[in-house]
Amino acid sequence: MTADDGTVRSPRRAVLAGLLVLLLMSAAGAGFLAGNAGDPGDDSAEAGFARDMATHHAQAVEMSMLAVQRSGREDLRTLALDMGLTQQAQIGMMRAWLDTWNLSPTSTAAPMAWMNDDTGMNHEDMTAEPAPDGDRAAMPGMATPQELDALRQQQGAAFDSSFVDLMVRHHNGGIQMVDAVLARGPDPLVRDLATSMKRGQQSEITALEQIKADLVETP
Amino acid sequence: MARKRAARPLSVGRPRPWATIAAFAVVGTFTAGIIGYGVYASSLADRPWTDKLAAIDGITDYVAQKPAWLTQQHKPGSLPYEVTPSVGGDHNGAWQNCSGTVYDAPIATEHATHSLEHGAVWVTYRPGLDAGQVRKLADRVQGRDYTLMSPHDQLTSNVTVQAWGYQLAVDSADDARIDTFISAARVKAGPEQGAPCSGGNTATGTTPQQGGQQ
Repeated sequence: MTADDGTVRSPRRAVLAGLLVLLLMSAAGAGFLAGNAGDPGDDSAEAGFARDMATHHAQAVEMSMLAVQRSGREDLRTLALDMGLTQQAQIGMMRAWLDTWNLSPTSTAAPMAWMNDDTGMNHEDMTAEPAPDGDRAAMPGMATPQELDALRQQQGAAFDSSFVDLMVRHHNGGIQMVDAVLARGPDPLVRDLATSMKRGQQSEITALEQIKADLVETP
Repeated sequence: MARKRAARPLSVGRPRPWATIAAFAVVGTFTAGIIGYGVYASSLADRPWTDKLAAIDGITDYVAQKPAWLTQQHKPGSLPYEVTPSVGGDHNGAWQNCSGTVYDAPIATEHATHSLEHGAVWVTYRPGLDAGQVRKLADRVQGRDYTLMSPHDQLTSNVTVQAWGYQLAVDSADDARIDTFISAARVKAGPEQGAPCSGGNTATGTTPQQGGQQ
């Protein structure tokens, strides 16, 4: 290697310098990748939560849209619209996580499988309370197909009352799922949305119970 | 150069300081790795919106100072608020439509507070503010989702901007801090992620339209 200034460097030194630069660049790259490698994997609690909560939310949207169309109470229709639109948007957020993590939005794993791990919480605990008709729901608090069918047949105050009962149970189940993922120290994205879900659903349960009390007083 | 080469000829046979080179290589490799990770970590930029809001001169951060005020229950009728205009707390079951909506008359705080919970930024101005100033404010709101604007007759400054837990009071619509506030807080400041601005109450008037109860 002959430079303009006429110096003749040892080729070994040039090779050494080149190797050193290469080493530093790959170390910087490895540092970046090490950060990126923190994305939750296919069998992580985060991915399981995102998939199962999307399904869980979808049923809440289904019931909420029924109430928006059918309830005779303006306060209940407004609350149902709030819950339905919010949960549909949250489904979109959870799908976007899975996209970002290069994971499928669905899985063949059993519902709530991500909760069956070594933290001592499991699926059986979560669904220990069977649905009234004896048909065990797939996830905590979800309505069974029979309960949904019955809700679709109802009108007036009977509909309002069934809707409130099903939705309070649904939200309580959702909060159990949130607590389960939070107990696993999740990714900050998951932690923040899960925390927001818990606060929102707790205040919605209070609002639903107020409407329920009013329904009982003025049937 | 020739002089230098003559002064220090290529040292043949002199042992190279391999230990020093290796030490530098190891330290350099670690440093580069740390820098690489740093670039990644800063690309994540953990919660930058709170930092941006905190950096605004004159902003009041109620999330930090008065978290107990920021309750989220639905309640009917007129409600008391600790801050005027409200920055959070219990609210009406119906939110005020906040899809970039400019209201030309005062609106109910009970509805607007629900909009803040959903992530909206509420721009308020003193009635009688110069029409040009009002237009400059409206330009920041009209058609911009998760914002709403209305006159408010209890302001002690010309303009205030509110998000859930944050408030900024300024004298002029020309104040650049308004833009910083809106861009940092919009959507992000609401504690209820994913909640809508559409589908809300669109009527003006300071009496809540419908209750949490009928």
